[in-house]
This record gives sequence, structure tokens and C-alpha cells, in this order.
Amino acid sequence: MNHTKNPSNGMTLVNRLGGVICRLKPLILGTAGTVFLASCGRNAPQDTFQPKGPNAQKIDTLQKPVFAVAGIIGVIVAVAVVYSMVKFRDRGQPIPKQSHGNPALEITLTIIPALILAVVGVFTFRTVFDLNKTSDTEMIINVTGQQWWWEYDYPANNEYGITQPIITSGQLVIPVGTKVLLRETSRDVIHSYWIPALNGKRDAVPGRITTNRIEADEPGIYAGQCTEFCGLSHANMRMEAVALSKEDFAKWVSNQLKTYTAPAENTLAKEGEAVFLNQCTRCHQVNGLTRADGTPVIAAPDENVWSGAAPNLSHLMSRNTFAGAMFNLVTPECRTDVWKSESLTFGAKYLAGVDEPCLNQTDLRGWLRNAPAMKPMYANPALLAATGGKYRGMPNLGLSESDIEKLVAYLLTLK
Amino acid sequence: MFTPGSKYLIAITALSTVSLALYMLLVHPSALGAVALIGLVAATSLITGVALFTRDGHTPEGQTSAATVDTPTPSMWPLVGAAGFALLLVGTITTPIVFIFGIVAIFAALVEWTVQAWSEGASGDNAYNASIRQRILNPIEYPILAAVGVAVIIFSFSRVMLATNKDAGAIIFIVVAAVVSVVGMLISLRPSLKKSIIGTIVVVAAVGLIGAGIASMGIGLREDLVVAAEEDHYAHQECGAEKSDHFDKGVSETISATSGADATIELIDGKLTAQVQGIEGLQDSITVRRANPSNIIFRNKDAGEFRLAANLGKKQIADGVMEDVVTCTQLISEGAEQWLTLTINKPAVSGEPYTLSIPGLEGQSIVVVVP
Repeated sequence: MNHTKNPSNGMTLVNRLGGVICRLKPLILGTAGTVFLASCGRNAPQDTFQPKGPNAQKIDTLQKPVFAVAGIIGVIVAVAVVYSMVKFRDRGQPIPKQSHGNPALEITLTIIPALILAVVGVFTFRTVFDLNKTSDTEMIINVTGQQWWWEYDYPANNEYGITQPIITSGQLVIPVGTKVLLRETSRDVIHSYWIPALNGKRDAVPGRITTNRIEADEPGIYAGQCTEFCGLSHANMRMEAVALSKEDFAKWVSNQLKTYTAPAENTLAKEGEAVFLNQCTRCHQVNGLTRADGTPVIAAPDENVWSGAAPNLSHLMSRNTFAGAMFNLVTPECRTDVWKSESLTFGAKYLAGVDEPCLNQTDLRGWLRNAPAMKPMYANPALLAATGGKYRGMPNLGLSESDIEKLVAYLLTLK
Repeated sequence: MFTPGSKYLIAITALSTVSLALYMLLVHPSALGAVALIGLVAATSLITGVALFTRDGHTPEGQTSAATVDTPTPSMWPLVGAAGFALLLVGTITTPIVFIFGIVAIFAALVEWTVQAWSEGASGDNAYNASIRQRILNPIEYPILAAVGVAVIIFSFSRVMLATNKDAGAIIFIVVAAVVSVVGMLISLRPSLKKSIIGTIVVVAAVGLIGAGIASMGIGLREDLVVAAEEDHYAHQECGAEKSDHFDKGVSETISATSGADATIELIDGKLTAQVQGIEGLQDSITVRRANPSNIIFRNKDAGEFRLAANLGKKQIADGVMEDVVTCTQLISEGAEQWLTLTINKPAVSGEPYTLSIPGLEGQSIVVVVP
């Protein structure tokens, strides 16, 4: 092989490379600046570097030094590579003398990474085992994923006043300073539950129960997001964990256990109840709702929905979100008022629920008018052959504006 | 211009086309007979086209055809291909398996005939041409034939075992296995044995087995299998305290998975207890998610055989006729465990909770709550 190089060719290549870098300089600087500025964002509710509970804190305590070590090593390697590229670039010089094997150097370069990984491994394993601990659980909540929302059911737990199971969706409500064990599964495909401020992510797998510890230090709302691609509206499958003081949590439980109160006769809400009975109870349950003859209404989502369930709407107006937490049930002003409130006042504001002035009428009416237009779902009756005519998501019910008016009035009573 | 063979084929094609037209006009355009006649028209058209294109293999006098230089070896593959087409047509109007056999026969004929025809043009030496054909096709033919042979033997033997009663079946199995072993040993002890003798033994055994299989198919399944199939024994759970002749057959007494369990139910000293991961202590109720398969482990730690039954309300099977909805494990002995998977779509009616209980054991139950 001829190793002789043409000096002019080598220089031409370097010059060309330099020219390309000069032309791309604004783009490179712009990208680097954007990344840097993005890292300075304050309004980032799903920031993994802002732990708000002991489990997330454990992860944070592990990941920061590991990132630091990895960053330093990354910089050293990058500098060495760039230095070698520049210093020993091809200038047409002859190929230098080649040597093979340097046992001392090779052993050193094997032992150092091995030691670093061993140290990281020890702390990682300790953290993983800590996060998997279930023996000190104070409360369990069953979390069930379904395209594209999360259902939470609270088994009876006398210590927390839960005398009857509670079922809700969209917002997971927990008491602060309490070790809560989430028992996760899925009704259809694999989902993944992640509230970054409270713990790492854990897959919800059909046919299996996976556990995930969460605990919040302070009252507040902590945002999350399904992190396993689960179909059309994966990006819209959100969740929020609401941490309340133990006193406020007891009030929340008490409210969830309240029996159903039917709207007063001759009101718009009463007419809305009739529309609800006619249109919505095929899938949505409201505990305690009865028909005119007094028989209890048991929804049958398993007959209409591919995955088998639809959100239970009992006490809907005690939540701040709907449609898989994609939309706010309250107006932006009211939501900001709750989210930004101090710890001491947060509970009272959240427990106040949604009243008419705070109701996000625009999105709720839009949803009732044509849900598939607001959130991508498999709800077109003409395209449901593969699921035997069952929906994945909420269909367009073709409600009239009058029916929507009545339904909104009725839903406002579900506090 | 047309050779006699071509005229004959043209006539057949015309006749079948007229038949097709009349059938479609007088009977039904989309009846199955029309499908068969369309196939006939297509097949005769193809053959006629080939005959016309090759001028029916006619070679003018004074010319020497390449075919006359060396006579092609006889081939069964055209026959197999024709049979394949026939099966294909019959299959379109009978059962899919016949259609599939037709496809397989046509594909085999195409491959074999193509390779054979190609190899015959390799040289003027038929023996050499045959060796080329074998070198290409034997690595495909032998595994396929072996697989088919094994499948035929297994199928035939299974028919015999399903037709004979269980005791006789065990004896037959032992005798056949012993005969195979003894014959194999004798052959290995006599390596000089003629191939023809070994071949005869194998052929006689195979023919005997296939014959026995065909005869067994004619006899049909043994009585207890017929009864079980008619009464759907294996699909129908019998959840009483007594041992079921059918449902409690082949009891599984261990489970390998534990992480996917919603609850563990144990029977200890006549008491039924429930444990749920994450909740301290024993429970008298468990929560099961609606519309989601929930796995429950049942462990029998009591003396005797017990099963766990889930009482899931009632369902209407006819106007005014209600039936209990019950699912259960098999009857398992002391120290054994078994899964019970519940899929409950709706909450229980108020005042009539779903429960887990032990048939035959009064006063012990675990409430199943479906939120």
C-alpha cells in the first residue's frame, strides 16, 4: 500500500472543513444556546431534577453524582478526541511508526472504568432496592392504565377513613408524608406511570401487577405523563398527583364517600340527569344514580369500550381535569390560583372543587359536542370492525346544544 | 395449420366456454359451479395455448429436433401438477384443506419439473443429468419427506390411541415401543443384513401403522371421549365440594408466577384468609379492578382436598330465568396451590356482594369488592 500523501489534498480537506464549520457557526451557536436556555426553564412541572418526595430524592441523590462523573468522563474523552483530531490531522506527513500492545496502559484503562462502574453499581443497587421496598407501606392505591387515561381505586382502609372503596380518575389524591404503594396494571397495552417529582417510572403491564412507591413532602399538584408509547393519544395520556395534608385528605375521602344527591326537580340539572341516563350511563358510572323506578344504574362499558372501562364520574367536580387529564376542568385563572397557592391554603382551594364561575365551559362543551375532534381516538363507528364495534375512547354522541346545556348543568352537581 | 392435437384442445376449450356461458345465464353467475367451469376454461385455454405455441411438438420432415437427440426421462410431475390443479378446483367448492393440498402439489410439480427439465439439458448423459438433479433437489426432498413421514406416523398412531380404551392403549404403547427397540437392536447387531430386508420391515411396519390408523378413524373415538365432547366436560367447570370426574382431572398443584397476583387466599385450619401485597395483616375482603383479569393465588394448607370458588352474582339466561355465575379452581390437596383468574366487568348489586368461598366449608368467605 502506498502511504505517500499529497500535502495539498490534506490541506484542502481541512480548509473545506473549516469553511463548513464557519458557515454553520450561527446554527451551532443557536442550537447550543437554545439547549442552554431550555435548561434554565423554571416552569417545568415534569422536571426530573426537582424532587418533591423521598423516593424522587433518592433518585436525584443517585443521578446527580452519576451525571457529574459521566459528564467529566465525557468531557475528557471529547477533549482527547478533538485534540487528537486537530494535533494529528493529516498534513501529508508519513504514517508514524505503529506499535501494538501496551499491557500497563491497557490494564489501567480497564481497571479505572471497572472501579467507577462498581462504585456507581453499589449505589444504584442500593437505591433500586430501597425504591422496591413495600413492607413499610401505609396506603395502597390500585392504578389501572387504559387507552388513554388512568383509573385510581382506593381499597377500604379504615386508618384513613376509607370505609368503602373509592374510584376516581385523572388526578391521584394522596396524603402528604405517607408512603403510598401504587399497584399498577393495564387493561389493554403497556403504559408507564411517571410522576417525576415523586418517583421514577414504572410500566403498567396487562396481566401483571407492578408496584411503585410515592410520597410527597408538601401539599401541591405534581404533573406526570405516560412514558410508554401506547397508541394514538399516548402524548395526551397525562396524570396529576395531588398531595393534601392529612386533614385535607380526610375531608377529600369524606367527600368521595358522600352518597349521591339527585338534582332538584324542575331544574336544568334534573333534565341533564335524564340526558345522562339516556346517553352516558352506557359507559360512565355515577355511584348512587338510579332510574325513575328506583333501580340502580350500573354502567356497561365492557359492552361498548374495547378496553372494558370508562371513567367513573362520581364527584367529577372534585377534580381539576378530565379526558385523561388532557383538559382542565377549571379555567386557567382558577387553575393558576390552585397550582400557585401556598401549602397552607392549597388544600382548601383544591377541595373547593369546581363551581360554575371556575368551570372551563369551552373545553367541556367542546368535549361533549364532539370528543374525537378534541383528542385523537379510535371512535369512528365506520372503522371499528377490528374491535367488534367497540370504541377506544369516547365517540361523538351527536348531542344537541340543548342537551349539552343540560348535561353541563348536571355535571356541575357531581361534587 | 392446426395440428390434430391442437384442434382437439381448441374444441374442448370452446365447449367448456359455452358450458360456462350457459351455466352463468341459466343457473347463476356466481354459483360454485361457475367457479369450477371458469377453472376448466382457464386450464384448457392454457393447455391449448401451449399446444398452439409449440405446434403440438410437430417437427417438419427433414429437420432434427433437439428432443430427438436424447429422449427425456419419464416424469411423474406433469401428472402431479394436473392432480394439483384438480384438487385446487375441487378445493374452491369443498374445503380449504383440499385447496391447500392442490397448492402444495402444484408448487412441488413446478419446482421438480422445472429442475428436471433444466437438468436434462445439461448434457447428453442421462446419468450425469440425474446426478445434477439429485444434488439440487435431494437436500430439499429428504427433509420434507421425512417430516411428512413422521407426521403420518404420529397422526396414525394418535388415531389408534384415541380409539382404544386407556388400559389397552398403554399396553399397545409399551408393546410397540418394545418391538421398535428390539428390531432396532437386531438390525444394529446384524450390520450385514440386506437392505431389501430392512426396507421390507420398515415398509410393512409403516403400512401396518397407517392401516391401523385408517381403521381406527373408521371406528372413531372411544366412548368416554365421545361423551366428554358431547357434554363439554373439559370446558364446563364443576365447582361443588365433590371431586369431578372431568374438571378435576390432571390437577395442577403448583404455580410458577407470583408477581402478578392481586391477592393470596389461604385455607388454614378451616379458616379462609386473604393477603394483599402492600397491606399489613390478613384481610376479610379484597378489591378487584373491574374489567381487568385479576389473578388470585389459592393455597390449601388444610388436611383434605378443597377448591376455591368465586361467587359472582347471577346472570339472566332466559326471560325470568337466572343462573349463578361461579368460577373455581380444581380440587387441590394439602400443600398445593393454584391460580384463579377473575374478570369482573361490573360492581356487585347492593346487598349481594361477590365472594370467594370453599365449597363444603360453611361460614368462611372473603368479600370481593369491585369499585
